[in-house]
Amino acid sequence: MLTYAISRATQFALSLIVASVVVFALMSLLPGNAAQVALGTNATPEAVAALEAQYGLDRPPAIRYFDWMIGMAGGDFGTSYVTGAEITPVIVDSVQVTAILVISAIVLSILIAVPLGTFAAVEHRTWIGVTISAASQIGIAIPNFLAAIILVIIFSLTLGWFPSQGWMAPVEGVGGFLLRLVLPVVSLALVQAAILTRYVRSAVLDVMREDFIRTARAKGLTRTKALFAHGLRNAAIPVITVAGVQLATLLVGAVIIEQIFVLPGIGSELIRAVANRDLIAVQGIVMVLVLLVLIINLIVDVLVPVVDPRIRNAA
Amino acid sequence: MKTPRIMTWVAAAAATSLLLTACSAGASDSGDAEQKDSMTIAFTAEPVNLDFTSTSGVAIPEALMENVYESLVRLDDEGEIQPGLAEDWSLSDDRRTYTFDLREGVKFSNGADLTSEDVKFSYERVQDEWKNELKSKMDIVESIETPDETTVEIELKKPSNTWLFNLTSLVGAVFDTEGTTDLANEAIGTGPFTIEKFTRGQSIEFAARDDYWGEQPALDSVEFKYFKDAVSASNALKSGEIDLVSNLQAPELAGEFQSDDYQIVSGTTNGEVVLSMNNAEGIFEDKTAREAVMHAIDRKAVLDTAWAGYGELIGSMVPPTDPYYEDLTGVWKYDPDKAEELVDEAGIEGEEFTFTVPNLPYAKAISEIVSAQLEEVGLKANIKTQEFPAVWLDKTFTEHDFDMSVINHAEPRDILTVFSKDYYIGYDDSKIKKIAEKADTGTEEDYIAGMKEIARTITDDAASDFLFLFPNLVLAKSDIAGIPANRVSDAFRIADLSWN
Amino acid sequence: MSDSPTGAHSPRDLADVEAPGPTVPARATDTGPGRSKLRLNASMAIGGGLVVLIVGLALVSFLWTPYGPSDIDPIARLQSASPAHPLGTDKFGRDTLTWVMYGARITLLVGVVAVGIALLIGTPIGIIAAIFAKQPWGVWIDAVIMRANDILLAFPALLLAIIFAAVYSPGTGPAMVAVGIAAIPGFARVARSGTLQVLGSEYVRAARAANRRTPAIAVVHVLPNIAGMVIVQASVAFAISVLAEAGLSFLGLGTQAPVPSWGRMLQESQQFLSTHPELALWPGLFIALAVLGFNLLGDGLRDRFDPKMEARGV
Repeated sequence: MLTYAISRATQFALSLIVASVVVFALMSLLPGNAAQVALGTNATPEAVAALEAQYGLDRPPAIRYFDWMIGMAGGDFGTSYVTGAEITPVIVDSVQVTAILVISAIVLSILIAVPLGTFAAVEHRTWIGVTISAASQIGIAIPNFLAAIILVIIFSLTLGWFPSQGWMAPVEGVGGFLLRLVLPVVSLALVQAAILTRYVRSAVLDVMREDFIRTARAKGLTRTKALFAHGLRNAAIPVITVAGVQLATLLVGAVIIEQIFVLPGIGSELIRAVANRDLIAVQGIVMVLVLLVLIINLIVDVLVPVVDPRIRNAA
Repeated sequence: MKTPRIMTWVAAAAATSLLLTACSAGASDSGDAEQKDSMTIAFTAEPVNLDFTSTSGVAIPEALMENVYESLVRLDDEGEIQPGLAEDWSLSDDRRTYTFDLREGVKFSNGADLTSEDVKFSYERVQDEWKNELKSKMDIVESIETPDETTVEIELKKPSNTWLFNLTSLVGAVFDTEGTTDLANEAIGTGPFTIEKFTRGQSIEFAARDDYWGEQPALDSVEFKYFKDAVSASNALKSGEIDLVSNLQAPELAGEFQSDDYQIVSGTTNGEVVLSMNNAEGIFEDKTAREAVMHAIDRKAVLDTAWAGYGELIGSMVPPTDPYYEDLTGVWKYDPDKAEELVDEAGIEGEEFTFTVPNLPYAKAISEIVSAQLEEVGLKANIKTQEFPAVWLDKTFTEHDFDMSVINHAEPRDILTVFSKDYYIGYDDSKIKKIAEKADTGTEEDYIAGMKEIARTITDDAASDFLFLFPNLVLAKSDIAGIPANRVSDAFRIADLSWN
Repeated sequence: MSDSPTGAHSPRDLADVEAPGPTVPARATDTGPGRSKLRLNASMAIGGGLVVLIVGLALVSFLWTPYGPSDIDPIARLQSASPAHPLGTDKFGRDTLTWVMYGARITLLVGVVAVGIALLIGTPIGIIAAIFAKQPWGVWIDAVIMRANDILLAFPALLLAIIFAAVYSPGTGPAMVAVGIAAIPGFARVARSGTLQVLGSEYVRAARAANRRTPAIAVVHVLPNIAGMVIVQASVAFAISVLAEAGLSFLGLGTQAPVPSWGRMLQESQQFLSTHPELALWPGLFIALAVLGFNLLGDGLRDRFDPKMEARGV
């Protein structure tokens, strides 16, 4: 277990370094000149060159890379070319928004999918089970932004239950915060729940065929009780791995929902930084996103053996 | 094992229902508790910082001019120059020296008094420190004298009819001598409002000052909220989260607000939507090719489809609010047959050319119909969408790597800038240069006559196609008063707004 | 390394695919052979039918559409369904049916190119990794390849697409390449675990005993045996790419004017939702049908191919 932990940690660090080089290299290819953007349509070439020198854009790439890495190691993502502001607080704030949004969505989708998927598995021979399966297939096929648009029309513009957009930090008012969170979270969660339901269903179906469930049933437990007693722990594995992947995908994937609901999340910041050719901000944001995905993967890798005795023993 | 599992489920269900109750409980008090001394306004272009002396773009002056910063003079809704911080002014006989009498009792928001020294400091700073290239509007200033605390004498290098007008824009903003240390984050001006809170990328909150020199504004607090997406902004207005949409970027949505609860204000701006052609090189260097385009475009159809008919056909680079406006919509009539002939004559049928389109709603919509109309006369546009501002500025504007583009030139009285030789369109300005010089230094009558001639020359040369004048399309709750019909300056004045 | 060469390379194998459709271990079959067959047919029939419909629309659009995609008609703008325009017209007076048909092309183009990239790069990578994993001296090569794969996993399709759009300016090309690259790890994983299974089977050992060289074994035995799993993966990846194209075009980072695409139609329909909801209905419906079709087809194929793998003793 210790060797596993050490090798996993080394792997994590190496991945991070490789990813940082990739990100930096990609950014160096970006067309568009940050100095030109800052100066606008009336800029003279001399002014642009002067501003480039001020930003240090005229230094060799290797030096810029190490400069950037050293800064990041100390939690400093540098200063934006365009806004002239520190990037670190922008990233910290926007990551919080996206994290709240995405984690709530994943939790909600687990709350929907686990009972629904289990039920669909247990009832897989009845019309209810088939209906759930079919509904989840259709749910997967609906783009989440379409779901968002429809939800806004129904619950905000027609019924007036929730605001159509906006963000309020929890410190500014918990009620307003929750209220504004509902529609974006539900838009994300519905589609994710549909995906997850299918995984849960097939995992539970597999578990139901396993010997220990049959044994438990032979001992006189009803099918449902046997499942609760033994099965769900095993079904938890696909839920954890899939939820992990969904979480990772949604960090950026939520950007469409962030745009529709005008939420100041990390995806929106990325789009804004790209549009402004705010190179240093783009680099920092992409790096943070990659870091988060790697951390999520790490957590999933550590969590699964904990939950699953079979894998634990194998490792 | 059984119990904890079920407990989890119960807890989960409880949490869910809790969340839902919390929501429905909160929903009721969102819209109707309206405070009549505050207002929330939706804007599109967001300021990246608060410093227009170093950062270009419309967003910062839109928020700050006339609200936080003021100039010696200002424009009214009709485009007439009115007193600002200067109560009065006079022009010397040689038309080179302006003498301004400052208002007394004007205080900056940091408590300092406005003196002639501040004006001198601010205007010299434009030439010395500004990075925004609009600073060239002040190049003509020779010297600034301050005979006493309330008098400013500004001597120009030569007479100019445009300089006083330029002073109504952001270059005229008066700063406190002590107030320019952190312009990006702190705005200290003489205006009726101060900035209470600036949340980058999201909002600016303004608070009314109680020591403003002029009439106290009706509103105590105003919030500018920035929406990249017009649909989100319109939704927010519909659900009552905002009160006014300052310039709707999806005009088709206006139709949904035709009820007693809302008002739709549609006026003019200084923004000429120009189908620009590269006069200096490529397929449109040839005037015949440009003429073909002028005849191929059905501007009425462009306006009706791309911008839902909001806006005005202008036919030249001059909005109707400018003193030298002249209706030139008749010069180039929509005539596809004629266009086809000209395409033949120029020998450019089927030749592909690059049509760079900034990724802005109006530009994208226009590109679709314009390319279709050009196709009908045998002109093949190869559309390249470019992110605005970054890529468009770099490729089209700076490197002139384009044959055709479309952009709203929003600066006031920008005809001479846009149609100067070095500008991206590459118009051969040898013909108009002399006229411009004479117009600016002559009398006001000379000015108007000269500028008219310039506008006509540019249109006659088919330098570019002037599609339409961008509308000032405001959506607001019906009980808001004081919404100006036209946007003639770079400012959005909130002091005039009030609730009925 | 933590990897066991048996294919359970990391617990994340379960989630090779980013979104819908369980992969290798999670089988969506029902119990009971008769029922399984019935459902299998239903999935494949519906999924196949929908895919044929989309492909058909795209193919027919090459021969015939009611109008041209850039046939504008300012007078007939924003019309509801009529005999002249069965699905109505958009704000330029362009025929919606024509646009839906042309949109199918872009959807399929993006899917084919993205899946093609992922399949042609990911599958060989997976096979090579597995072959090295089987050599005592080559385990580290396998490890390096799969670590690189993991790093790629940290760049989701949308993130890559945003970066690519910034580098190469937004367009269908960068979008499909981004989606394709992001799908490589999925194919590599599937190919690797499939190959490991095949290489461990009886008859490959027999072939080795008969002194056949590894590349030959790979071609003769591995490819046919993993083809099924790869096709399933392709079908699921296709569904993802349809959603990705729609999402990117919605953000303005995908297909650009004047090329018709469903995502773009949906994006532009937003300002007409209250007045002309059908403008959103049609592209939304066809996106959903395409995704549904490819997912169901993938499900059906999985049910078909998995038992075959078992039957062959792999």
